[in-house]
Amino acid sequence: MIQDIGDALVQSWRNFASAFVMFVPRLVAATIIFAGGFVIALLVRRVVRRVLTLAHFDRLSLRMGASDMLRVAEMPTAEVLVAKIAFWIVWIGFIVSAVDTLQFTPFQGLVGEFYRFVPRFVLALLVLALGFLVGNFLWRATLLSSVNAGLPGARLLSGALRVLVIAIGAVMALEQLGLATTVALTAFAITFGALMLGLAIAFGLGGRDAAKELIEQQLRAKKAREADAAPHL
Amino acid sequence: MAVVESRTMASQNPADNESALSDALLRQLMAVGQVDVLVGLPTLNNAATIIDVVRAIHVCFTRDFPRLRTVLINADGGSTDGTPELVRAASVIDADVVQTSYTLRTLHRIVAPYHGLPGKHTALRTVFAAAELARASVIVVLDPGGPATSAERVTELIGPIAQSGVEFLAPRYRRHPRDGVLITQLVRPLTRALYGVGLDEPLGAEFACSGRFASHCLEQAIWNREAARIAIDFWLRMEAVVEGFPIGQIWRPLTAPAGARTTVREAVHQVVVSAIESLRAHDSYWLRTSGVAELCSWGVDPVAIPESPTWDYKALALQARHNLVEIRELLQTVLEPGLLAGLLDVSEGLNPTLNNELWVRIVYAFAAAARQGRAGVDHLADMFVPAYMWQAAAFMAQTARESPAAVQARLDSLCETFERLKPELVAAWSAGE
Repeated sequence: MIQDIGDALVQSWRNFASAFVMFVPRLVAATIIFAGGFVIALLVRRVVRRVLTLAHFDRLSLRMGASDMLRVAEMPTAEVLVAKIAFWIVWIGFIVSAVDTLQFTPFQGLVGEFYRFVPRFVLALLVLALGFLVGNFLWRATLLSSVNAGLPGARLLSGALRVLVIAIGAVMALEQLGLATTVALTAFAITFGALMLGLAIAFGLGGRDAAKELIEQQLRAKKAREADAAPHL
Repeated sequence: MAVVESRTMASQNPADNESALSDALLRQLMAVGQVDVLVGLPTLNNAATIIDVVRAIHVCFTRDFPRLRTVLINADGGSTDGTPELVRAASVIDADVVQTSYTLRTLHRIVAPYHGLPGKHTALRTVFAAAELARASVIVVLDPGGPATSAERVTELIGPIAQSGVEFLAPRYRRHPRDGVLITQLVRPLTRALYGVGLDEPLGAEFACSGRFASHCLEQAIWNREAARIAIDFWLRMEAVVEGFPIGQIWRPLTAPAGARTTVREAVHQVVVSAIESLRAHDSYWLRTSGVAELCSWGVDPVAIPESPTWDYKALALQARHNLVEIRELLQTVLEPGLLAGLLDVSEGLNPTLNNELWVRIVYAFAAAARQGRAGVDHLADMFVPAYMWQAAAFMAQTARESPAAVQARLDSLCETFERLKPELVAAWSAGE
């Protein structure tokens, strides 16, 4: 009996020792990957930031209005933000690799999942950034054109356009990530449809006379402005 | 006199100037051979005035330069009112012949509808390319709606280039100092302060130049660019200044401004875009230039000052005030907080006012913003429009009851402020590297 208990203990110890001997190298490897990944991610962050600075990314960000939006949201500057995103993508990649090295059963296949997710995530970020850029560009262009053309409600018109374009970009980014696709698309479709229908009804029925007056006003103003540069030249 | 129609093509390659001339035009020019004086007439629907201008040119050729080889080239932009036909048909009438001696040379007249990008720049490129091919030593470009309705007006443009070594001759007009606000409040003082040259009319439509200057311009990669399309006259002047061609001015009678077909917004937009393009292209010159060189002048100063212009500057002020508030958010990206606050403060006042320093700093802030890439040039120009409108209204309001001499003193003071504050722009521009 005692002999059996002893054998069991010895066997258990041997199993543990054997498993430990097999685990330690993986743990060491995972630790090295984790630490090395952190250093590499830091380097990537520094390089990305340096390249963006050299490429005058701040000017692009300023021109497209992204800098203003980041400032309002109390976020770092655009190049710092992009560098941080690059840092986390790289480091998370190494963390996932490190965890995979440990060969824990629940985390099997994590690396594959991660590498499938990263392109979608980067694409979603690009789509979102593009939405911001296009939205801000259109806002600026619409505001300037309509103000200089003397159109009423220039800020409302340009602001609505910006929100619409950014919202489209956000929905497309969510769709790319596969997050709440149905909810986001449905919410967007309902909101957009309701807004357009409401505007159509308001403008077509309620504001028909106002619309007519507005168009006539614009035509009159255009005629009045036709020769107005003469005294300036 | 044989009149042959030919067509010119806009070249995609700026250096390839011969392709700016069609085969037909090339043949005609080769038939003409080498000339001494080439008069270019860029036209677009100028039927009302073109006959008188063509007659004036021919009387000038026959009476004043009978020994010179001359050619008139009409570069037409697609007139629908029969302008090219009128140029072909225009003849020297008996009354003109009585005044003139007979020319010793053949009078050549070529009508060349140009193609490619529409605009005066394409017409000028055709004229310059033709001048280079014909080895013309004097080139005169006339405004078909302008003052060249007498031979004397054409002759006086040819003389200084042919005889005195000047290579670019710009017009100057005796205006009321309240006239031409865009010129007096922006273009002239900016040109004086930055390029160090006392050009009265940096946007004038007429000019005369040497064949060497025309050839130099043809070599520049400007002809297909936006700056050339919208303000070729400004670019030509700045090119002459920067490249060291001797420049002069000549008094010309004041005529209706060519900008009568454009709106204030369009005019300001074009001027700002071309000014920014020029600042970018020529910064190695103007960053190092100091002082102002006054230019030699030809012709007779009319002396008599025309009536003060009257237009509704109060309506312009109202529009400017509204627009400034509307685009306040955008102006924050261009103007320092203090400048923007100053502009918005004065725009809230009952009467439009704006002091010289604030105005000049606003102008320089826009130039620096272009350098720093804070916004696209088109957007910057659009943002500048309300600020200009306010300044124009303020100037007109402040000078409404002043004598011409007092108004002129204000203009001189503004020029001085532009010059005094230039180091601020130089610093901001250099920091934007």
